[in-house]
Amino acid sequence: MLPNRSRLSVLIFLVPPLLLYAVAVLLPILQSLFLSFFQWDGVTDMQFVGLGNYVYLLTGDTVFWTAFLNTLGYLVICLILQLGGALLVASLLTMLRRGRELVKTLYLLPAVISTVAIAFLFQRIYSLEPAGLLNRALELIGLGGLQTAWLSDVSTVLAAVSIPEGWRFTGLYMLIIYAALLAVPQELEEAAKLDGASWWQTFWRIKFPHIRPVWITTTIIATTYALRGFDIPYLLTNGGPGQASELLTTYMYKTAFTSTDYGYASTIAVFVVIECLVAVGLILLLLRRKADA
Amino acid sequence: MKTTRSRLAVAAAATALAFGLTACGGAGGAAGNADSTNVDPEGEIKAREISWLLSRPADGGVITAMEQIADEYAKDHPGFALNLITTPDRPSYIQKYQTLAAANKLPELFDTDATPYAQKLAKQGRMMDAEALLTSLDLYDDYRPAALNYQRFDDGSLYMVPFEFQLEFFWYNKALFQQAGVEIPTTLDEIPAMCTQLREAGITPIALDGQDQWPLERYMAYHPFRTAGPDFVQDLKKGDAKLSDTDGVAAVEWMSQLGSSGCFQEGFSSTGYSDAQNLFTSGKAAVYNIGTWELGSLATDALDAGVRDDIDYFTLPVTAGSATAANEFVSPSGIGMAVNAETFDPLVRDFLGFALERYPEVYAATGALSPTTNVETTIPANATPLYERAVQQANDVGETTAMPWDTQLDPTSNTRLQQELTLLVQGEVTADEFISTMDAVIAQNGPAAFK
Repeated sequence: MLPNRSRLSVLIFLVPPLLLYAVAVLLPILQSLFLSFFQWDGVTDMQFVGLGNYVYLLTGDTVFWTAFLNTLGYLVICLILQLGGALLVASLLTMLRRGRELVKTLYLLPAVISTVAIAFLFQRIYSLEPAGLLNRALELIGLGGLQTAWLSDVSTVLAAVSIPEGWRFTGLYMLIIYAALLAVPQELEEAAKLDGASWWQTFWRIKFPHIRPVWITTTIIATTYALRGFDIPYLLTNGGPGQASELLTTYMYKTAFTSTDYGYASTIAVFVVIECLVAVGLILLLLRRKADA
Repeated sequence: MKTTRSRLAVAAAATALAFGLTACGGAGGAAGNADSTNVDPEGEIKAREISWLLSRPADGGVITAMEQIADEYAKDHPGFALNLITTPDRPSYIQKYQTLAAANKLPELFDTDATPYAQKLAKQGRMMDAEALLTSLDLYDDYRPAALNYQRFDDGSLYMVPFEFQLEFFWYNKALFQQAGVEIPTTLDEIPAMCTQLREAGITPIALDGQDQWPLERYMAYHPFRTAGPDFVQDLKKGDAKLSDTDGVAAVEWMSQLGSSGCFQEGFSSTGYSDAQNLFTSGKAAVYNIGTWELGSLATDALDAGVRDDIDYFTLPVTAGSATAANEFVSPSGIGMAVNAETFDPLVRDFLGFALERYPEVYAATGALSPTTNVETTIPANATPLYERAVQQANDVGETTAMPWDTQLDPTSNTRLQQELTLLVQGEVTADEFISTMDAVIAQNGPAAFK
C-alpha cells in the first residue's frame, strides 16, 4: 500500500497522458457521435436529423452492408495470416539452433516499410498487363491458365488486398508470440515428453495455455487493426471494382471527403468504434472462458 | 474517499474540456465578408505574399509560366510573392480544398471544377464573379468561348478562370488498324464491331486507365452527348432525365457492348495512367483516348520510333441523327482558378490583371494551347506533323463541349456511377441492373444536391 502522498504524485503523473488521451482519442469519438446526428457538408449550415443517419445506415444503405461483409472477410484473412502465420513461424523459430536473429529481422522487415511502397509493390506483383511476379510465376510452373488480373477480378480482389496487410504484420506478431514461447518453462515440456506426450499434446496442453494471455492481447491488437484497415485497400483498388473491396473505412473516407457528407461519415465512424468494442468483448469472452474451463 | 473524489474531478474536467472543444468544432463555414461582385475595390496596392492552392503537375506548363510571371511582377512590386501549393492527385486535392473551405481557410486563389460543391461556395459569396472580373480587366473577349463555357455553372454564371485548353482525341495506330483490316469508325455504334475485329487479329483494341475511373466515365458521356446533346447530363443529374429513358438505355447498352466486345485490355480496372499509355505507345493497343496535354509524348520524337509514324488521331465519332456536330466533343479547359472573395483586394486584382494578360504568350510558347485566341502556339522543334494538326484543330472546335460527367453529377452519384460502370463493362452486372441501380442512386442524391 502506497502512502497517501505517493498516491497523489502517481495520480499527478497519470493526469497529463490521460488528458492527452482524452483530447486525441475520446474527443474525436465524442465529436463523431455529435456529428452523426446531423447532415453537414462543411460549408452550409448543419441540419439536425436525429437518428435519420442511423436508420438509413442500418436499413437503406446496401453499400454499407457490402462494405461490412467485406470488412469481415478482410479481418478473417488478416487474422489467419497474422496470428496463424505468426504462431507457426514463432514455433519453428524456437526449434532453430542458429540464425534466429537473422530470420526474425527478415520477417519483421515488411512492418517497417512504408505502406505506400508496399501498395506499389503489390500492384506490380498482381499486375497482368504487363505480367507481374504472380502471373509470371504461374506461367513458369505451368499454371498459365490461372493467370488473371487479381485486382480487377471481383472474386479475387478482396483476398488480394487483404494479403499484403496480413503479410506485413506477421513478423511483428511473430516476435511477440516468440517471446511468449521462450518463457514457457523447459522443465514442464521435458516432463511432458518423458511422460510420452506427442508434439501436438505438448503444444496444446503445455505451451499454449502458457502463452494464452499474450495470445489474447495479440488477437485483440490484430483484430482492431484489421477492422480499421484502410491504407492498402485504398491505395490498391480504392474499393473497386464496384464495391468488391470496399471496406467500412474506405467507404467512410469517401462519404466524408468525396461526398462531403460529414454527418453520415461520422455515423459510419461510430459504427466502426462499436464494432471494435464488440469484437474485443467477444474475444475476451471466448478466450477467457476457455482459460477458465 | 479522497482518491475517489480526485478521480471524479479529473474525469469531470476531461469531459468538460471535451464538450467545450466539441462546441468550438461545430462552428465554421461562415460566409466571406467581402462583396463578391466588387471586382475593383478601392485602396492602395500593398505588396505581400499571396497563395494559390492548385491541382496541376508541379513541372507542368501552367506552374512554370505562372512562376515566371510572378517573378516579373515581384520585380516592380518588392515584397510580392506567389506561393504555389500544388496537389496534382485530384482526389487528394479535393479533400484538401474542401477541408480548408470548411475551416474558412482558403487562400487568395484556389483551383476547382464547376462542381455542385463549388457552386455552393459561389452562392455564399466566397468566390469572385470571374465574368465581371475578366470584363473589368478588359480580358474577357480574349478567351475562347468554349474555354469559358467549360468553367460555367449550370445557370451560366462564371466563377473560375481557365488556364488551359485541351482537345480530347482518339489516338490510333494505323499499322494495327491495317493489320486487322479495320477502318476509322464513323459512328459510335461501329466501335464495338471495330473492337471485335481487332481482338480477332490478336490486338488489344483500346488502352484504358481504369484505375483513375474518369477515363471510363468519359465513354459514358459520349453516346448521350451525340444522341441527346449536352442537356442530357444536365437533366439526368437533377433527376429530370433517367437512364431508363431512350437515350440513357442506348448509352448503357453501348457501354455494355464495349465490354462484351472486349474493347479494353484485360484487367483494365487496375491499370494505371502510365501503364495504359505504355500499352498504346509500345504498339500493343490500337486506340487510346486522351487529350492534347499528352501532345509532348504522342506527337514529338519522345514517342518510340517504332510507332511514331503510325500514330494518328480521329475525333469523337457521331451517331445516326446526332444532336451535336462532329466538331463538338470533349474540349476541356482544365480545372479552373477561383478567386477568394474574402481576401480579394487591390493587390490581388492588380496581380491578376498583370498575370492574365501576360499568361497566354508565356504559356503558348511552351507548345501548349492557350485558353485565349490572341496567341499562336509555338510548335516544338522535335514535333511530328501531327502536333501542328492537333493545334490547328483547336480553331475549328465548336462551342458546345461534351462535359465530363465527373464534374457534373453530385459526388455520391458520381462515385457510384464510376464503380457500377466498371462492373457493367466487366460484365458483372447487366444493363438493366445498372440502369435501375443508378436511377435509384441519382434520384436519392441528385435533386438534393442541386436544390
